[in-house]
Amino acid sequence: YKDVTSISCVGCNSVEKKIYVNLNYTVPCVRLLNATHQIGCQSHLSGNVGVLHVLESEENLDWVLHSGLTPPYLVILESSLFTRSIMMKLKNGSSRVAGVAVVTPNANPSQGTSPHTSCPNENTGVYTENYDPTMARCNVTVWNPLGTGLSYEEFDFPIFAMKEDNDTQVIRQCYMDHNRAGNGSTPQYPLCAMQLYSHMSAVTDTATCMRRNNINFSLSPEMVCDPLSDFNVWASTRPLNNTAKGHKEGESVVLAAARLDSRSFFFDIAPGAESGVSGFVALLAAAHALRNATQEAPPPRNILYAFFHGETFDYIGSSRMVYDMEKNNFAVDLDNIHSVLEVGQVGLHAESRLWLHSDPVSRKNSSVNEEVKKLILRLQSAASGLNVSVEEPGFSQPLPPSSFQRFLRARPIPGVVIEDHRSAFTNSFYESMYDNAEYLNISYPPDLTPDEQLEYVTDTAKALTEVATVVARTLYIQAGGAESRLGSINADPQMVTRILYGFLVRSNNSWFQQLIPSDLVSHLSESRCFVYYLLDSYGRAPALISPPTLLVQYLLANLTGSTVNVSQDDCWNQRVEEQDKESKHMYSYLWVQGAAPPNSTERVGFCMRSAARLSKALSPAFDLHEYTSKDYSTWTESRWKTIKGRIFLVASHELEMLTLGVGVGVLLTSLMLTYIMSSKADILFSSGREPANATY
Amino acid sequence: MNLERVPNEEKLTLCRKYYLGGYAFLPFLWLVNVVWFFKEAFMKPVYTEQLQIKKYVKRSALGLLLWVTVLTTWITIFQRFRAEWGEVGDYLSFTIPLGIP
Repeated sequence: YKDVTSISCVGCNSVEKKIYVNLNYTVPCVRLLNATHQIGCQSHLSGNVGVLHVLESEENLDWVLHSGLTPPYLVILESSLFTRSIMMKLKNGSSRVAGVAVVTPNANPSQGTSPHTSCPNENTGVYTENYDPTMARCNVTVWNPLGTGLSYEEFDFPIFAMKEDNDTQVIRQCYMDHNRAGNGSTPQYPLCAMQLYSHMSAVTDTATCMRRNNINFSLSPEMVCDPLSDFNVWASTRPLNNTAKGHKEGESVVLAAARLDSRSFFFDIAPGAESGVSGFVALLAAAHALRNATQEAPPPRNILYAFFHGETFDYIGSSRMVYDMEKNNFAVDLDNIHSVLEVGQVGLHAESRLWLHSDPVSRKNSSVNEEVKKLILRLQSAASGLNVSVEEPGFSQPLPPSSFQRFLRARPIPGVVIEDHRSAFTNSFYESMYDNAEYLNISYPPDLTPDEQLEYVTDTAKALTEVATVVARTLYIQAGGAESRLGSINADPQMVTRILYGFLVRSNNSWFQQLIPSDLVSHLSESRCFVYYLLDSYGRAPALISPPTLLVQYLLANLTGSTVNVSQDDCWNQRVEEQDKESKHMYSYLWVQGAAPPNSTERVGFCMRSAARLSKALSPAFDLHEYTSKDYSTWTESRWKTIKGRIFLVASHELEMLTLGVGVGVLLTSLMLTYIMSSKADILFSSGREPANATY
Repeated sequence: MNLERVPNEEKLTLCRKYYLGGYAFLPFLWLVNVVWFFKEAFMKPVYTEQLQIKKYVKRSALGLLLWVTVLTTWITIFQRFRAEWGEVGDYLSFTIPLGIP
């Protein structure tokens, strides 16, 4: 406050800077809406002001909720106190609670905690009452037992996250100096207070906010919310004609699926190391391992790699792809799919064991069961000779939350989901901000430069490489390839460690910079956090693609495609030469900026030809305008105007009223004086002159 | 305009114009009529046109009262129940508040 402002603002004399200290790093929790509920946090339009209180323990809550004399309070929580019981108590006492600020530590807590629900996506998976009542609602296995469901609660005060940095020290110091009740005496005004702004525009549910988006005749039409949308990334080993949508005669496709996204309680923080990154990195490495084999000795079936976005929010990406396939809006359709192999959470496999989950209900059909058994045998033979073992859980258990469930909703397709947990998740930070590189034990020796760290092969990378090799070999045999070639299919640990570094440690590294075009470079940020979705301005402007999705697309293009000698102009126009009109159906051409040769600083770009494409991941509910749909995801995110926070000293209510009263008194007195003086003006100001004639 | 210097016939025409104009869904004209001609109608010594002016002022006051009642009732109901009306409430509104139902 006073001291800090004078240091940080040299030479400026603004009164505002003498009163307020603005917080630099503010991460809010935002409001999301679906067909029936609104979740997240809301603040008043003019911010929520509360007297600071640093919570020491759960018993200390009594001061905030009952005995404190100066409500409303703004509670500062250490991350260990950010638990469901404390947050629920604060939620119930919300007339005295102005907001919560959570201080996130630099190291992960020792105890696992997940803000997600304990049964993720229970309403939009395949296990409904119709499919199998014994398996619905996680009756057999609770997948996320550490889940508190905090991310899906509604709070009517703002909740912000702060890092342990100078700002937080200022806040603690302010609390110590002014608000601390010393020796039983109550703290006196002026007290240290914080104001948090995170006013969300949308309210009630998705149908309401979409309706308010579209009202035509209001004076100031304002968008209040946006549907969650991004893009799926997909590629095939044998190029598919992407312009001719619908069923492709004679194509039999093995679908290899993984998930791209993740989330946490707060907005825009979603590292998702084990929840998402481990899976798609393994699949990317498998795609790379299969490049040579599928080109030299192409197997009879095609392999389609699909990276789905938005799976956290009721399977946005996979439901959209299934919908597109059903409506003949995709390069292949559901009849072309032979089987599915999905790579789930594979980063933590203790004792190097992987578990193969399959759906018992569809396996009651003997032909599906045969295919699944064959797939499992191929997985086991692919893992032989490697440092990892694969087995089935050994009892009848439904599939864990996975994109494959959406495909099963449409057709009984044989498929297997590879996970590192036999029953409940081993991930103790599922969809949490602590699910980061540290949790996966990605550690580098000290004193390495960023480029050296990029190339250093961590143990996690080695383990993930094994998984990728298993996946690649299985896909090859599943597609009908020859067993003799299996030994030559190996994932590259160098590639795996680089991708892990780029997504979990620092995305602005030299390798990523080579793989992307120059206009994307500015999007690579220093601090690695996975953006979990981006918002579509629903028809009014071209949808933006989030940087991580683009990164995955360029990576997939680089790992499965090849360089072609095409000029930059032709590359941008998806053609090989001036007259070429055919190539764009089968391939996609991407111009990347490449590396600078050793003796110059100019990068030499080149054109990458691959079958990697994007497909829209927007829930079909928004295309069909069914905003109360129970079948599809209806998640939208509210819009907001400002997100900021500031601290200042606040005076007692009595003092404020006194100041107002004195001001009103002065006003009335001056009015009265003026009236008296004007009515007695002739007496007061007589100067002996004749009064002027009445002019009116 | 200062009514002191206006002849009585003109006062009567003015009052009548305002009274008739108020029927075009313009209750403010009636309000102005009542406030402006109140002194003329009830507090000045009697003159020929005063009876008619009194009639117009009384009728304007009645019309004004009716409008005030109707508008107050509608505004109270709308402000109280707009949130519960959902779709209908949104379509009836010019500006919908952000962030609250």
